[in-house]
Amino acid sequence: MSMVLRAENLSKQYFRKTGQANCFYAVKDASLALNSGEVTVLMGRSGSGKTTLLHMLSGLLTPTEGKVWLGETDVYGLNDKALSRLRNGKLGVIPQGRSAIDTLTALENILLPAQLAGKGGDIEAAKRWMAALGIEHLSDAMPAELSGGELRRMAIARALAQAPEVILADEPTGDLDDENTERVLTVLRDTAKSDGRAVLIVSHDSEAARYADHVYRMDGGELSPARTTGMN
Amino acid sequence: MKKAIIPAIIILVLALVIAVGSQTFLGACVHEDGSFGACHWAARAILGEGALLAVLAALAMALKKERAGLYLAMAPASLLGMLTPGTLIAICGMDTMRCRMLMRPAMLILFGIALLAALVGWLAARKEK
Amino acid sequence: MGTGKLPIKNLLRKPGRTCALVLLTAFLALAVFGGSVVVRSLRGGLNSLEARLGADIIVVPGEMASKVDLKELFLQGTVGEYYMKASALDKVREVEGVEIAAPQTYLTSLKADCCAVKVQIIGIDPGVDFTVKPWIDRSLSRDLGDMELAVGCKVSTGVGENLRIYDRSCRVVAKLAETGTGFDTAVYCNMDTMKTLLAAAEEKGIVHRLTSDNGDRISAIYVKVAPGYDVSDIEVRLAAHVRKTKTVRTRTMITDVSESLAGIARTVSLLAVAVWALAFVVLLIAFAMMIAERRREFAVLRLLGTSRGGLTGLILTETALCSLAGGLLGVGVASLAVFPFTTLIESRLGLPYLTPSTGTVLALAGTTLLVTLLVGAIASAFAAWRLSRVDPGTTLREGA
Repeated sequence: MSMVLRAENLSKQYFRKTGQANCFYAVKDASLALNSGEVTVLMGRSGSGKTTLLHMLSGLLTPTEGKVWLGETDVYGLNDKALSRLRNGKLGVIPQGRSAIDTLTALENILLPAQLAGKGGDIEAAKRWMAALGIEHLSDAMPAELSGGELRRMAIARALAQAPEVILADEPTGDLDDENTERVLTVLRDTAKSDGRAVLIVSHDSEAARYADHVYRMDGGELSPARTTGMN
Repeated sequence: MKKAIIPAIIILVLALVIAVGSQTFLGACVHEDGSFGACHWAARAILGEGALLAVLAALAMALKKERAGLYLAMAPASLLGMLTPGTLIAICGMDTMRCRMLMRPAMLILFGIALLAALVGWLAARKEK
Repeated sequence: MGTGKLPIKNLLRKPGRTCALVLLTAFLALAVFGGSVVVRSLRGGLNSLEARLGADIIVVPGEMASKVDLKELFLQGTVGEYYMKASALDKVREVEGVEIAAPQTYLTSLKADCCAVKVQIIGIDPGVDFTVKPWIDRSLSRDLGDMELAVGCKVSTGVGENLRIYDRSCRVVAKLAETGTGFDTAVYCNMDTMKTLLAAAEEKGIVHRLTSDNGDRISAIYVKVAPGYDVSDIEVRLAAHVRKTKTVRTRTMITDVSESLAGIARTVSLLAVAVWALAFVVLLIAFAMMIAERRREFAVLRLLGTSRGGLTGLILTETALCSLAGGLLGVGVASLAVFPFTTLIESRLGLPYLTPSTGTVLALAGTTLLVTLLVGAIASAFAAWRLSRVDPGTTLREGA
């Protein structure tokens, strides 16, 4: 078990356009380590800074202070090209909300990261992940024909098909019913355990905590460890 | 699929413009003395061909089963229209006459587009089956 | 990071959006290409008119409302029947400073073979003519014989066919190159043929006999002033020496035509520029809106590992494909609207109008495509640049 992704005193400051106190911290001084083979769950109310932290960990949002390390690499020390290659190859991000490319079928969407890297993409693996998430029959469907829950699972399958070192999932069970929530969380835990990936799940659903090795809580931009469980 | 109807709608509009235009704004030369030039008879032929094309297009819109065949019939009908002024039926001798300046090029373009639309429609209707 | 076939899929699977952009650029290309072809054709027409009016002064019968009627002839190819006696030619030649004086005689046919159209018949003296003759020489290696005609390019009777004028049959021996002026609808013969035709017209009572008729009539005398003489001086001397005539200076006539042509060219250019500017602004807004609407899509592509450069490349590729399709469509539609109706445009404008050569047209089409590509690239590059300045994380948060 090794440390894969490490956040060091991360802060993100925003400037409000209105009001007197025009400067506030969305995330303040957060430090966190994600280990391979482990599931970490980050809980907290909406607006507490969870998504901001996840975006900073994903290399999508430049922090105001602090650093993010992927292995020995300083993520925000990279130039745009190298950082993009890193996102494509090593980070599987499941963003909140819709993230499908509307002009591609579900299967094409899942294969897109590989194609962006100039590879054909492993169709068998993609179909396997779709089957694991219960959307294997939707390969040729266009995103406009899919329900919210199906789109969510498509985004998860896309992240899994990237075979990344780290999976960063923002509310992966948001639009899902109980059955599919369990299915998704199981798949994420299994990939951590059997493929040795580091998984971070951001959720306000306490159900997710049952699958976690570590649980953190976010409150007003401040990160604190809630507990370390040993469910497995 | 409804898509195979679109060329028929285009052809119907073109055919109506051709039929009405051949007797009015795209028509033959008008002579002061009331006599007819050769182009008058070309315009009459075009009126008939335009009407025929309009009927074929309307039928293609209504009859799904016969659509491909009707499109196939519209192609040579359009070609006939393209050849009518000047080639099959003589028109006036001077380039500055109305039938040469306006009627013939307009008919070539209108029937030409109809011909293309008929071929596209034929392909679409064949796929439909 | 390559985006592969993504741009093509994006275009094909959003047909509405693609069509809108293609139509916009087509509109732009239509204005640029159509406008420049029309302006070029007008300039070409003026140049060829100047070449046909190589004379310095034209002497016409006094009863002719000189300028108006002559312009009619040059632009529309019709002129009334006005004649002066052949002796006027000798009088003109007597004037000092006249280098060449070439007579021309005009007659309008009422019914020629080719439908019921008036054909302007122009009789020339091949020995001295210096304005029409060089033009005929390009199509006919010998002089016109008796009862032989050279016809302008817009007369449909072909070489080798016969044309009946006042019941006299004339043989067409040459078809002349296009000038874009009224000369294109006229037929040309030598003076002997003209005499025969005039006699035939007299029989029919179309042309009145001259009171002291010796058979030679002249409608106009084209005068070339010898080097070293002032054209206005000669004009004054001609007016004094040759009675019952009027003189027209071709320079002023060409200036007249060129002024109205400049006016129309200015209007057309202005219109083209206005459409161009409008289309450019609309394209800028359209691209900005399209990219704003697709911000989330682009942020997702960034999230999946597309670099800034890759994303800009994707946007530019989509734009370039749209612009190319729109440019081709616009040039095609403009071609269909302008080239088949050349004669119609010429007659409506009432100005010489000569379509440029195929090479020039192709060059104009190429330039138009380049312009539309450039406008699309500028419009979308600006929007893409603004997009790339925002962290994808920020975009993903908006309206998730």
